[in-house]
Amino acid sequence: MSEAQIDPRIVLEVRDLSKRYPGVVALDRVSLHVKRHEVIGLAGENGAGKSTLLKALVGLVQPDSGSIEVRGTPVHVQNVADAARHGIGMVFQEQSLVPNISAAENILLGCEGRAVRAGIFRTRTLRRLAQAQLDKIGCTVDPGARTETLTFAERQMVEIAKVLGIEERTSVEPIILLDEPTSVLEPEEVEILFGQIQRLREHASVIFVSHRLDEVMRVSDRVYVLRGGQVAGEVDPSRAVPSQLHELMIGTADTGNHYHEDLQARTPPHRPRIVVDSLSGDGFHDVSIDVRQGEIVAIAGVHGSGREDLCRALFGAGQIISGEVTLDGSSLSLTSPRSAVAAGIGYVPAERKVEGMVPVLSVAQNMTLARTELVCRGPLLDHRREAQLVDAWIERLNIRTPSRNTGLGRLSGGNQQKVVLARWLLGDGLKVLLLDHPTRGLDVGAKSEVYLLMRNLANSGVAILLLADSLEEAIAMSDRVFVMNDGEVVSCVPSPPGAKPEPIEIVREMV
Amino acid sequence: MVHTDVTPLVKDEGASSERPARSPVFTRARLLSLMPIVAMVGLAAALTVANPRFIEPRSLVALVDSAAPLAMLAAGATVVVMCGGIDLSIATLASLTSVLLALWVPTLGIGAVPAVVGVAAVAGFIQGTIHVVFRIPSFIVTLGGMTVFSAAALVISGASTIPLVDTGATDWAFTRIGGQVPSSIVITLLAITLISLVMRLTPAGRWVSAIGYSEPAARLAGLPVAAVKLTAFTLSGACAGMAGVLLVARTFSGAPALADSLLLPAVAAIVVGGTAITGGHGGVWRTVAGALIVTMLRVGLSVVGVDSAYESILYGTIIIIAVALTMDRSKVSTVK
Repeated sequence: MSEAQIDPRIVLEVRDLSKRYPGVVALDRVSLHVKRHEVIGLAGENGAGKSTLLKALVGLVQPDSGSIEVRGTPVHVQNVADAARHGIGMVFQEQSLVPNISAAENILLGCEGRAVRAGIFRTRTLRRLAQAQLDKIGCTVDPGARTETLTFAERQMVEIAKVLGIEERTSVEPIILLDEPTSVLEPEEVEILFGQIQRLREHASVIFVSHRLDEVMRVSDRVYVLRGGQVAGEVDPSRAVPSQLHELMIGTADTGNHYHEDLQARTPPHRPRIVVDSLSGDGFHDVSIDVRQGEIVAIAGVHGSGREDLCRALFGAGQIISGEVTLDGSSLSLTSPRSAVAAGIGYVPAERKVEGMVPVLSVAQNMTLARTELVCRGPLLDHRREAQLVDAWIERLNIRTPSRNTGLGRLSGGNQQKVVLARWLLGDGLKVLLLDHPTRGLDVGAKSEVYLLMRNLANSGVAILLLADSLEEAIAMSDRVFVMNDGEVVSCVPSPPGAKPEPIEIVREMV
Repeated sequence: MVHTDVTPLVKDEGASSERPARSPVFTRARLLSLMPIVAMVGLAAALTVANPRFIEPRSLVALVDSAAPLAMLAAGATVVVMCGGIDLSIATLASLTSVLLALWVPTLGIGAVPAVVGVAAVAGFIQGTIHVVFRIPSFIVTLGGMTVFSAAALVISGASTIPLVDTGATDWAFTRIGGQVPSSIVITLLAITLISLVMRLTPAGRWVSAIGYSEPAARLAGLPVAAVKLTAFTLSGACAGMAGVLLVARTFSGAPALADSLLLPAVAAIVVGGTAITGGHGGVWRTVAGALIVTMLRVGLSVVGVDSAYESILYGTIIIIAVALTMDRSKVSTVK
């Protein structure tokens, strides 16, 4: 490190950065540095701390301890504007463009400068200034186009061009942070993006975050691997092989029985539970799938494949145009989530904090929210019965909470998710469980607990439909994998214990 | 001063699961939830210092008595606000109710009271239906409703005050029980106790909270979101109707603009009581405290001899300060 400190080429130096959340250490003394015109890869699983680190660099998260130095000067980044003054810009995972204005307006949003005179846009100057930013990365998007008419990849280019504007405003070469830029891109779009990154490095330093190892290895000069909030290692991609990185990411210790495959039923389940027959709706058409009693079925597909829409429709929260859904032989009318819940269907949405739970309400209130009748005597709440029921599930699922009356928002992500899952387990009515990215943002230990719970539920007869976070998870957890592409089911791959399919077989169908 | 941040709960996980749940008597959270009471007592003390006669039982009873219609008016709307909506139609609906009551008493006698409260409840139900079914913001629906009810009251009354020919039908609402306690106070407290008990003892309260805090999450938990909101709007209408009845009883007449000026005080009462205007957090008892604070300001400022020209300036300023004190920001994600 002593050499690094005097190296004048270092533009960004992070030392011992730590950030804690309730029950989770998001960053644990992370140290790294970025040199001029260097592309740094950040690899790690969900919850490894990649996003938190980037957010700390642009002031969206205030670290508890540690220091950040930009070009040798210690800085305290307060917010995104502050970060921009230091030459740091971030392209967000969830895009942050305003959809109903032009690309040019977005690029210059908040820093219009000469493009605005006396409060009025000077359209030609606006376009010229925006074009200059787009030219830097050789992007062919029309600056006058309305942003919402652009493809996702084009919008991402616009966003990079927007971030590059920092260059003029600060007169230093910017440090660009790209947070999972490839996660929703098609393969050819990924190629375009990589081309842009190569152009970008001629006048900027880049930190590239992805959980796809091959991408990180290809595009980066150096790779930092994060695990559980710590830097697990620094790798030279020209000399390392993917398996080394993978080992660093997962940690050699607990790869053994992460997915509890030993609990997967040897004899394939056969009694049908939920049967979806030529179902069409908003985002999917003519879908026919089935999930049997005690079976875990995964649906694989890229963003826009329609699998999320299908999942919501099966919970009565999406539109169904035609087709039929039968549960245990009788036809279902899925007009609202309420009707689905009454039929014995549970749903764990991907957006846990927004859709899955009410953070201010207590653990107990969240857990019994869908089945309040279980904790009532007549029309009245029976607090003693509620306490017994909730405490029993807190113990059974090993939910770590100070008490059942604690606000759910104060627990860690894994414990929140267990409460959300417990909601559907109260009583004996659960027949089908729809899981939309149930392990998103959870740490390794919490994931494993959720997997174990899924196995136990399946073995008790519940039919589980899983939209997995990764293909690996989908294959490991499921008995069968349906592949969806462009709103239709294109194939069904069996995934029995001990004879799991190779991911490549499924990827071929996905794109 | 009030702290707005919540310190995250960071502790050793192993130890936390063993620790029993204790609730100390004076936590900051509890103190925060009591702020409306503290503000109310503080205001009363200030008014007493300015004019010692303020604290005499006679003037206190008069104060509470004049707060009763306001509290009744705001009680139902509190539930709507807790669901994340707003009801701006309550004041003109109360005015319309007063006109209908004065017109119907000659034929229906005391039966006119349930009739007009029923009409007001139906009016609330219709607004709720439009809001839920056509997915129009409640602000707009009830803003329209406010104008419609006001105009209907003018048309029906012929734009004039209608005297109550038989005061026997509403005497019960403007009398003193045992010669001491104004009946309007008892009626209002009964209604609020009833709402509060339903909210506390049945799942209704947490359904309302869940919908107010996060409607998507409530919907995806399978809660009857539409039914809860419809009930809230119906209740708000019924409470507005009841407030109209209380006002007729004390003015012996129905008038097309009788309660119109009470809209902003009612909204102020809800918010000053500590119910979050963004939904979720709140309660009807808070609105009682809010109505007392608002009434104390309106009545009290002139009692202590504040020049009427300055009264509104002081009123507005104190309302903002009161909200700043009573709002529990830990329960509200963004302040809009």
